Amino acid sequence: MYGGDEVSAIVIDLGSHTCKAGYAGEDAPKAVFPSVVGAIDQMEVDDPEKTENNSGSALDAKNTARTLDSDKTKGKRKLYVGSQTLGFRRDHMEVLSPIKDGVVVDWEMVDSIWDHALRECLLIDPQEHPMLLAEPSSNTQQQRERTAELMFEKYKVPALFLAKNAVLTSFASGRATSLVVDCGGGSTTVAPVHDGYVLQKAVASSPIGGEFLSDCLMKSLESKGITIKPRYSFKRKEIRPGEFQTVDLDHPNTTESYKLYSQRVIASDIKECVCRAPDTPYDESAYSNIPMTSYELPDGQTIEIGADRFKIPDVLFNPSLVQTIPGMENYAEIASSARGLPQMVLESINKCDVDIRRELFSSILLAGGTASMQQLKERLEKDLLEESPQAARVKVLASGNATERRFSVWIGGSILASLGSFQQMWFSKSEYEEHGAAYIQRKCP
Amino acid sequence: MEAAVVDAGSKFLKAGPAIPDQAPAMIIPTQMKRMLEDGSMADNSLCEDITVDPVERGFIRDWDAMEDLLQHVLYTGLGWEIGNEGQILFTDPLSTPKSFREQLVQLMFETFNISGFYASEQAVLSLYAVGRISGCTVDIGHGKIDIAPVIEGAVQHIASRRFEIGGIDLTKLLAQELGKSNPLINISMSDVEKMKELYSCCAEDELAYEKTKNSCQIEKHTLPDGQVITIGREKYTVGEALFQPSLLSLDAHGIVEQLVRSISTVSSDNHRQLLENTVLCGGTASMPGFEERFQKEASLCSSAIRPALVKPPEYMPENLTMYSAWVGGAILAKVVFPQNQHVTKADYDETGPSIVHRKCF
Repeated sequence: MYGGDEVSAIVIDLGSHTCKAGYAGEDAPKAVFPSVVGAIDQMEVDDPEKTENNSGSALDAKNTARTLDSDKTKGKRKLYVGSQTLGFRRDHMEVLSPIKDGVVVDWEMVDSIWDHALRECLLIDPQEHPMLLAEPSSNTQQQRERTAELMFEKYKVPALFLAKNAVLTSFASGRATSLVVDCGGGSTTVAPVHDGYVLQKAVASSPIGGEFLSDCLMKSLESKGITIKPRYSFKRKEIRPGEFQTVDLDHPNTTESYKLYSQRVIASDIKECVCRAPDTPYDESAYSNIPMTSYELPDGQTIEIGADRFKIPDVLFNPSLVQTIPGMENYAEIASSARGLPQMVLESINKCDVDIRRELFSSILLAGGTASMQQLKERLEKDLLEESPQAARVKVLASGNATERRFSVWIGGSILASLGSFQQMWFSKSEYEEHGAAYIQRKCP
Repeated sequence: MEAAVVDAGSKFLKAGPAIPDQAPAMIIPTQMKRMLEDGSMADNSLCEDITVDPVERGFIRDWDAMEDLLQHVLYTGLGWEIGNEGQILFTDPLSTPKSFREQLVQLMFETFNISGFYASEQAVLSLYAVGRISGCTVDIGHGKIDIAPVIEGAVQHIASRRFEIGGIDLTKLLAQELGKSNPLINISMSDVEKMKELYSCCAEDELAYEKTKNSCQIEKHTLPDGQVITIGREKYTVGEALFQPSLLSLDAHGIVEQLVRSISTVSSDNHRQLLENTVLCGGTASMPGFEERFQKEASLCSSAIRPALVKPPEYMPENLTMYSAWVGGAILAKVVFPQNQHVTKADYDETGPSIVHRKCF
């Protein structure tokens, strides 16, 4: 039992695309940054010129300490976390994600992400604040134990709680029972929540998420001859007063992963600005004559986007569309096995008990960054009305504010951690020392 | 009695009664000197004793020293009487941890027994000083640089950035450079600081900076102890370091690029409003040539919309960049205290320090 008083808890939601962290009780996270990490392999550094490049970075003083720690099987590796440090192009810096298919594969990176969030963004001492972590709805026991170990041993937090994403979203909207459709960056998960518990057997997930859609957009633009130039690859020069010219810069040592990362950032911005979910399933002929919208890229190039505005979001509803986008052929197998959003919702509901299906249909919650796409809610509602049984009253709920939809998991965590009745549910350090990490299964259902 | 407004920076503490169109009544250095005999503190003087910096990188680190400093400021400087303390408004830098604010409010109510308290973020206040509620503040101070987009009085924490570099690092850079060009002369940090303020300036653009490598005007400066030091290209290096942080051995972009990138994380409807209302503030930003260079770099940056600097209103005092957060605080104090939106002693006694998070935004 942890008797938390006025020291507020910290809520961290490490998603596949962004990591959100902040104080409980607030209405938005203070620290939001990409959950990818830049890594420079120190072993590659041979000549002294490159060593000088890597030894700069006074802002990441923590990383030098970490380099000594990480000298185990992987060899020395310098990690860069946070949008500020990632935004700066460095030679040989690879952009890596610690999470693959929803499962954490690299704990060192997760550790560096948490460290950045706590010590550099929020400027707090983890020893003084209980932590509420959001975890995927289908997390394995081993992952949970590892999380608990890392939190208690390294950060020495006084108390910990792991809550499932779907449950937190449900709390954020004030409901104990709902069907949560979480359209995130790396994947889309549909999970029913009943009385605050996730019904594990009915959870459905698909690898099509916001990042996949940005990739589709990028490939589609490339096939039309438009290349997105990453921000570091050009410079504007003033050749005459008032007249500017864009000059390409050549950085031969930039890794492919960094280039892709920078392009993705720009592509997701384009996607957020211009894409809308179509009202009816996408049809090549119907959308061939729609007016184009223009968008100005950072290098000054203005591009026109027409049918892609509706085609890309429709991939969520009809994944087989991916095959029509040139350049995405290698994703064809993923696309063919994935189901569209309405199908996932129905599949998930049908796996639940008959008694609760009615309630689930009438409280379908939309959450996640991709869910703030315009018209997505209306389209989903329409598709579900067509395919659901007659008696069911389908209602899709989404908060009006785009930031609320994006951070609904975090907001739910903020609400939960600041409730008076929650304070007795923390998994405290003394309990961890007494029973071990496996006890977490009992404390955090 | 007027409310007092205190802006505790890493170098200067600005304090005064809340009269918005004037400069603050007291602008004193925050650095203090520890006197060994009776343990009391006094303001800075030229001799190199144990100097104490209560405010480091924008945050209050040494609370005892801060208490002594505030006693001097409030009772001696502003003329408060013990038993009749008034209301006070403090400014916070970006990303202030919750515990710092709580400690401050505790100090004020318990040690100083003030009647009312309010705290606000410096970024928002600097915008109020130029008459805006939305825009982007670039605060280049002694200990830190804050870039904060503000929409309708609310700081967008997701997009704001804080850098742990500031005037103090530029001073160190200047000392390093001077040491290289004048190897025989011993200079103290406070002398370098003065030289930085006298001589440093910004080159017009990168090309002009490159040219100074070959030919530059050399000036001679006489130090207080009689030694003569030459300063040439170094004066441009200091200004250039803000636009090319590689001079400070840092892997980062220049300040305009950072501004543009941080704005790009905000939703694009607001981009125009934010970039076209950019406010520069902070001591280091008043370097000659800085604003012009900033605007030049702004036209070259990788963005569709160019940052445009806001002109301060004519009725504001000169040198607004040095203390715009204080002036904004004075404006806010005139609104908050009469309308009883501040934390009163009764509120504090009832709820404790955490009341500050609920009442002050």
